[in-house]
Amino acid sequence: MESSRGIHAVGVRRAFGEVQALADVRLEARPGRVTALVGPNGSGKTTLLLVLAGLLVPDAGQVSVAGFDPVTEGPQARARTGWMPDVFGTWDSLTAREVLTTVAAAYRLPRDAGAARAAELLDLVHLTELADAPAHVLSRGQKQRLGLARALVHDPDVLLLDEPASGLDPRSRVDLRVLVRELAARGRTVLVSSHVLTELDEMADDAVFLSGGRTVATQSVTAAQEQRRRWRLAALDAAALRAWLAAAGVPAVAADDGAVHVDLAGDAAAAALLRDAVTAGVPVTSLAPAGGLLEQAYLALEEERR
Amino acid sequence: MRTVAQLELRQRLRSTRWKVALVVWFVVVGAITALAVGALGDVGDGLGLGSSIFGIVVFFVLFLGLIVAPTLSSAAVNGDRNAGTLATLQATLLTPAEIVVGKLLAAWAAALAFLVASVPFIVWAILAGGLNPLLLLATLAVLALELGVVCAIGLGFSALVTKTSGSGVLTYLVAGALSVGTLLVFGLTVPAITAEEQVRAWDVEQGYDWESDEPPVCEWQTVETTQVHTERTWWLLAANPFVVVADVQPVPPYDIDDPAATSADPLALIQTGVRAARTGPADEVDWCTGMHVSFDADGQASAPASPVETPELSTAPVWPWGLGLHLLLGLGAVAVAVRRLRIPAYSLPRGTRVA
Repeated sequence: MESSRGIHAVGVRRAFGEVQALADVRLEARPGRVTALVGPNGSGKTTLLLVLAGLLVPDAGQVSVAGFDPVTEGPQARARTGWMPDVFGTWDSLTAREVLTTVAAAYRLPRDAGAARAAELLDLVHLTELADAPAHVLSRGQKQRLGLARALVHDPDVLLLDEPASGLDPRSRVDLRVLVRELAARGRTVLVSSHVLTELDEMADDAVFLSGGRTVATQSVTAAQEQRRRWRLAALDAAALRAWLAAAGVPAVAADDGAVHVDLAGDAAAAALLRDAVTAGVPVTSLAPAGGLLEQAYLALEEERR
Repeated sequence: MRTVAQLELRQRLRSTRWKVALVVWFVVVGAITALAVGALGDVGDGLGLGSSIFGIVVFFVLFLGLIVAPTLSSAAVNGDRNAGTLATLQATLLTPAEIVVGKLLAAWAAALAFLVASVPFIVWAILAGGLNPLLLLATLAVLALELGVVCAIGLGFSALVTKTSGSGVLTYLVAGALSVGTLLVFGLTVPAITAEEQVRAWDVEQGYDWESDEPPVCEWQTVETTQVHTERTWWLLAANPFVVVADVQPVPPYDIDDPAATSADPLALIQTGVRAARTGPADEVDWCTGMHVSFDADGQASAPASPVETPELSTAPVWPWGLGLHLLLGLGAVAVAVRRLRIPAYSLPRGTRVA
């Protein structure tokens, strides 16, 4: 039963006239996990999400969302799918509360249940104070939060979030991350697209890399932690640091700010390097991953493609 | 369906533009009524004045309605698409038909608000003219249906065309084609339906000396004359919304003594014209009776009875044809819109994104 839930997509293709938006997409998003959809602009992320949301017919390929085919079993699939589009259009003259009760009615929730759900969600996305203000006075970030609440109205099993964090302030980003993790913990399947990779790092379990309408890699974020990646090492005395590194035979690349970049295979290797450096009397001030996990994986892929 | 209609109406009610439009409408229809009363006040009174004012007011309400109705619906789908709010509705459990019908109902309700704003003037004209109140119901019903059809056509175009301005223009084009285009085509087809034909004429005897005092003897002759067979093209006029509204009125009794009584009523004029067109030319004509009037001993004018029956206007109503056609157009437009809103979508309108 487990395998029929979540999102499965194999060989998905979709062309818009001459433009092949999706050439061959394979994607697996499992319940209870947050899957990141990563790719450059125009790589087909939004098109893929439209196919998964049941708004667009793929030219080829099999898609299953929450156990249903969005093409042949549209209503069943849509009843279990929450979709938050990247361009958030809103009914400007409606209040935030009315937006949610309208969507609740559109999902055939009884009026009372809809009103209760709206209040609950407004609280969840911290919009209760603005609940009865027209949507056009909301800031971009507030609208984004309203959009997220709208996607959650019918308590969907599968959540498709297209660039959910764009326009959010740091506080809201943290809230979003906590909320997404919480939904995953409750067994929901969450697919998040973004090109701000650092924020995906903190919320995603798996990542699917899309480029030119193709799935170019699928990776587990926890696995990425064990992979060889680049770390940034800084010390009070840059010369001493470089001398020690040269003596220890660790290949290092000088960064702009006097720090150096070293390639290390996983956290254990980093701990070992730090211990050795400190033991050798190098005044180390910091050792941290240079850039996010996904960012590095992404840039590595880009390099391979060149 | 109710969800969508409620959503649309809520948005409309909150825009000030719409309230301004309603006030302007009220003022304009009021002004037209006042002008009509002022202009006709001297011409006649009683039945004639009331029905004329009624006719003029209804005529203008339809005219203004055809101008306002397209703006109410011709951005319903593509406007939402551009604002990115259509896909969020489509992604819910609402069916395309519910979205389309809900939008149509909302646009129609808005159009009906304009109609309601003109009801006081129509009622006043009916009361002043002592007309049958049933006339009010029939006229309002037909006006309401016509406005609904225009709304449906606007909705259809808004689902077909990407730009809201484009669908607006197309809707106006259809409204114009029905209101003016049908008249033009009707006029242009006149040569095609005009023929030289033999008709039986009750004519003055041949070789009659027009100088003589003797009354002429009337006799049957077969003469060649030009006949315009409008009975073949009357349906072009039936497709005109003004004709539909005009023809739903009961045929006024033609009062030979007071032809002015109905002459200022545009609806009655239209109705008489269309019914005459549908009747077509008679194949027996009377060119003799009345040519010569003789007076008998008592001073009474006497003329021999004419064997030619006075042509009677067709009593078959024209409006069901026009209204039927319009309703079919409206249904077609709704069907097109539903088709275009079906998801998942196979093709997208040119240059649009789904969301």
